Amino acid sequence: MKELSRLLDAGLEDLSAKLYRMAEIAERTVETSIRGFLEGLDCTEKVKASSDILVKMSVDIEDKVFELISKYQPVASDLRIIKSYMKIGYDLERYGRYAWDISFIHKRLANSRKCIYQETMIKEMTETVMEMINISVNALKSHNAEMAKTLAKIEDEVDRIYFRYLDTLGESQAETKCVITNLLVVRYLERIADHAAYIGESIIYIATSERVTLR
Amino acid sequence: MSYKVEVENLNAWFRERKVLKNINLKIKKNMVTAIIGPSGCGKTTFIRCLNRMHEIVPGARVSGKVLLDGEDIYSEKVDPVQVRRKIGMVFQKPNPFPMMSIYDNVAAGLKLNGIKNREKLDEIVERSLKLANLWDEVKDKLNESGASLSGGQQQRLCIARALAVEPEVILMDEPCSALDPIATAKIEKLIRELRTDYTVVIVTHNMQQAARVSDYTAFLYLGELIEYGPTKHIFENPKHELTENYITGKFG
Repeated sequence: MKELSRLLDAGLEDLSAKLYRMAEIAERTVETSIRGFLEGLDCTEKVKASSDILVKMSVDIEDKVFELISKYQPVASDLRIIKSYMKIGYDLERYGRYAWDISFIHKRLANSRKCIYQETMIKEMTETVMEMINISVNALKSHNAEMAKTLAKIEDEVDRIYFRYLDTLGESQAETKCVITNLLVVRYLERIADHAAYIGESIIYIATSERVTLR
Repeated sequence: MSYKVEVENLNAWFRERKVLKNINLKIKKNMVTAIIGPSGCGKTTFIRCLNRMHEIVPGARVSGKVLLDGEDIYSEKVDPVQVRRKIGMVFQKPNPFPMMSIYDNVAAGLKLNGIKNREKLDEIVERSLKLANLWDEVKDKLNESGASLSGGQQQRLCIARALAVEPEVILMDEPCSALDPIATAKIEKLIRELRTDYTVVIVTHNMQQAARVSDYTAFLYLGELIEYGPTKHIFENPKHELTENYITGKFG
């Protein structure tokens, strides 16, 4: 029995390259928006431009997926990869969208100035979320199910910080606009963490065909 | 879930060459089971063993059991002709009897079984052609030659001929390989309809066809049964690496 190179392989390589490139852009976009919020910088234009690119790339990935399905009728591991990549494309698009939401609300309500309530807790949350994004991107590139599984524990941690932060915010006397900004930012961060966990679930499905929940 | 056909420790040879190796497989009643595998893996030999057609070939022999509703079709007291009446076969290339009319093609098996009553014959011919989704296309030209029909129609005529003798199981050996996509779609639709009343076993080289029409799929490789299970599992999540490599086209 010898391995054959297939017409589908070139298409899969192209699809992977597009998705990995998208993952890198998505990671950088979230990083930029968080830095803007933490340091009091206006990053809205840059983040918006990246978020728009991610939307286009997600559509491009969807088109490629449909092309591969209609041309080659993939099955088994090929099919699992293709359908999961389309889903992950959407998750990466959401990374970009929530990054934009963070920058937008930061500008709209706080005029992009530094306005952080409970800085230690916010930083703990942003670092944990960035760690999740990083793991999701690396696990994706290596189809590493074990790495993806570690996202479950970190996602719990994000939720724990999120609820602790809400409790703290409820008792705060801080400026209203600042409170609302922070409230929305942690909400968006929590949603980003959910999408990192969804990506982890897709990677486990690709690698093992098991359907698991990491949330 | 009851089993219509149970294959136990089935081995088959062409003279000294062993082509099926200890196959164990239970075929479910009123389901379509697809047999897939690379050329020469024993797919056709396997289904020919299911209605005792393998032994017709000089030098061919079989060991093991094939139970139809629990009764071994290879038992000495069983008449192979009766087995073939209960387990019909449709072949790769449509093979209507060329000198016979459409009507006579369908009625041929019935006449051989001694049915001479014209009304009874009319009734069965019509029912069989309707079951094969061919009646509307041929009802006004039943006396024309079967060979005058298109390839797809000829294949449906052969299916009608197989159905006329009221079999319980229908074996199909690549029934669409000589047909265009439209004729193929008609046969595939027919296969899905037939499972209401019959148990169907189909050999196919076309992976998508197996995925479309079958409920269960068996993968044979070098005469061995490698994997057998619900079609959805085989095509989404095969357990065996050989199955994965074959259905994704990774080996040849």
